[in-house]
Amino acid sequence: MRTPIAAIALVVVGLLAACGHGPTTGTAAEGPACEGPATAATQDWPAPLVPTPEPLLPVSLTDFSGTEVTVSKAERILALDVYGTLATTVHALGLGDRLVGRDVSTGVPELASLPVVTHNGHELNAEAILALDPDVVLTDYSIGPLEVQLQLRDSGVPVVILDGNRGRDVVGDQIREVAEALGVEAAGEELADRVAADIEEAESEVARLVPRDPSDRLRMVFLYMRGQAGVFYWFGEGSGADDLIEALGGVDVADEVDVAGARPINAEGLVLAAPDMFLMMSDGLESVGGIDGLLEVPGVAETPAGADRCVVDMDDSQILGYGPQYPATLRALAHAVYGEPDGSGGDRSR
Amino acid sequence: MLFVGGLAAAVVVVGIIAAGMGQLRVPPSEVLGSVLHRIGLDVGPEPSHPRGDAALWNVRFPRVVMAVLVGAALGGAGAVLQAVFGNPLAEPSVIGVSGGAAVGACAVIVFQWTFLGTFTTPAVAFVGGLATTLLVYGMSRSGGRTEVVTLVLMGIAVNAVTGALIALLVFVGDTQAREQIVFWQLGSLNGTRWEAVRVVAPLVAVGVAACMSLARRLDLLALGERSARHLGVDVERLRMVAIVVVAVLVAAGVAFAGVIGFVGLVVPHLARMAIGPAHRWLVPASVLGGALVLVAADLVARTAVDYADLPIGMLTALVGGPFFFWLLRRARATSGGWA
Repeated sequence: MRTPIAAIALVVVGLLAACGHGPTTGTAAEGPACEGPATAATQDWPAPLVPTPEPLLPVSLTDFSGTEVTVSKAERILALDVYGTLATTVHALGLGDRLVGRDVSTGVPELASLPVVTHNGHELNAEAILALDPDVVLTDYSIGPLEVQLQLRDSGVPVVILDGNRGRDVVGDQIREVAEALGVEAAGEELADRVAADIEEAESEVARLVPRDPSDRLRMVFLYMRGQAGVFYWFGEGSGADDLIEALGGVDVADEVDVAGARPINAEGLVLAAPDMFLMMSDGLESVGGIDGLLEVPGVAETPAGADRCVVDMDDSQILGYGPQYPATLRALAHAVYGEPDGSGGDRSR
Repeated sequence: MLFVGGLAAAVVVVGIIAAGMGQLRVPPSEVLGSVLHRIGLDVGPEPSHPRGDAALWNVRFPRVVMAVLVGAALGGAGAVLQAVFGNPLAEPSVIGVSGGAAVGACAVIVFQWTFLGTFTTPAVAFVGGLATTLLVYGMSRSGGRTEVVTLVLMGIAVNAVTGALIALLVFVGDTQAREQIVFWQLGSLNGTRWEAVRVVAPLVAVGVAACMSLARRLDLLALGERSARHLGVDVERLRMVAIVVVAVLVAAGVAFAGVIGFVGLVVPHLARMAIGPAHRWLVPASVLGGALVLVAADLVARTAVDYADLPIGMLTALVGGPFFFWLLRRARATSGGWA
């Protein structure tokens, strides 16, 4: 007798809880209205440093994996990671014309014609890379297999493994590390300072767009989806998405429910969390069939974000890439979230 | 005998062709020159590409050697297992070795264990494969004997559990770990280094030698368990030794290369079609046939798409499956059934 009552009580409590998180935006006129999806696109790639620095080599350093590496030449550089951040950094340092290949994510237009050495993001082929005869390979654990990177080292190519964790607070250090490995320390300092100043500027620009009243702030969640199977992952603390939502002035829903890293969540959990806005990777949104397909995924239509079709997507490689392009990424996302600064609204044509 | 000799010659020839082909183009004369220089003969041209010599010795040669070793291990293990089970469907995954190894490898990937450096994944996979096999065997044993049917059923049950554990690990892992798991399960020889070859070679050598030494008793076992026992074969002991040998061989191969399906199943069948069921020749033919298939498949895997590396398990099944199907149809048409 007791058990059914308890079960009913639980259900009622659950329903009440669900109502408590009910839609708040869309109805509140003073809140940041969000209707229709928007795509954030940046055309502003970081400009290379002028004048072009000349590497002072050889340099010896201890890399992220604790290995002593000596770089004695940097005429032919490979910089490979899953986001394309390392190659963008080399480009911003002014050494882009020394790159002899690129990863599939590198978006800098000047580098587009280089041969792509990573086809599915993480399976490198040692022979193909050696055929490019690199003097130095900059990479991290986001790409592999690690054995291939070790094979390159066995073959006499200095392989510098860097920290692959991306986030706002490590942008400067990661720029300096790339610069140090290429013997352009002073240029690294200059670029890191420039980017740090730009980040602060971008953040204060964005801060002006954020609603003053905390209760008007958008509840955001970074949703990782692949296909319509109804599998979603949230990106939480330490995933890079947390910094992004904070900078955008959103309320990090994943933070409220203590999601760390990437965690799967089911449809009811999504409804319960009641996000106002989804941040997504463009390919992820496309894989579910765009915004219309997304709404058919169970749970999505029942969230305020789903009801308002409030989705902001950005290129997979850019949205969590950080690096020197982070200020531009942040501005583009802010414009997609809050509309253009001139009030014309973001690109909501999708 | 002639067939086995021919196979051995074919492995050597295909091995040399494979050693001479790759994404970093080195003409055959320069490959030969590089080898001759390495063994102290100052003959022939050295690779003209600045990284040519390094690529050959650090990347390509260990990989070709590993393909030979893993192929030999899978082929030999398949032949022995089919004999021990007296069943043409038996393949290494039946006794849980692949599944157990996969659970070990996935756990390393998801929990990011690194206690043995780059050897962590292969070591844990090896232990996982071996332990799972012993578990299957141990649970099937009762009153000092095992029955084939119990063994197979126990293998199926254990495979279901390992499948569930892998699914759990996929769930727990982050996006990057999931991708790694998927690719590990498709198998690849990409990134093989001499260190790995040095670990696998002795295991495969001992395992293959053990397979050969079992061959005569396997022939007697083919007469039926009872007849074999009357002829002085300790069937239970034979079965146990054979399973341990198979587990070591397959675990050694799978540990570094991931799951490579079909070779252990199909190659012994092909060998049996060519030379009949006598294990004295069937076992070496399967060993060599496995090596041949894997070297050829790996050559395609690493050269088919520029800058990319295809999963080899996909290739062996994609080509092996239809070929096997065609052979089955033909065998049915000519001999009226499967023997």
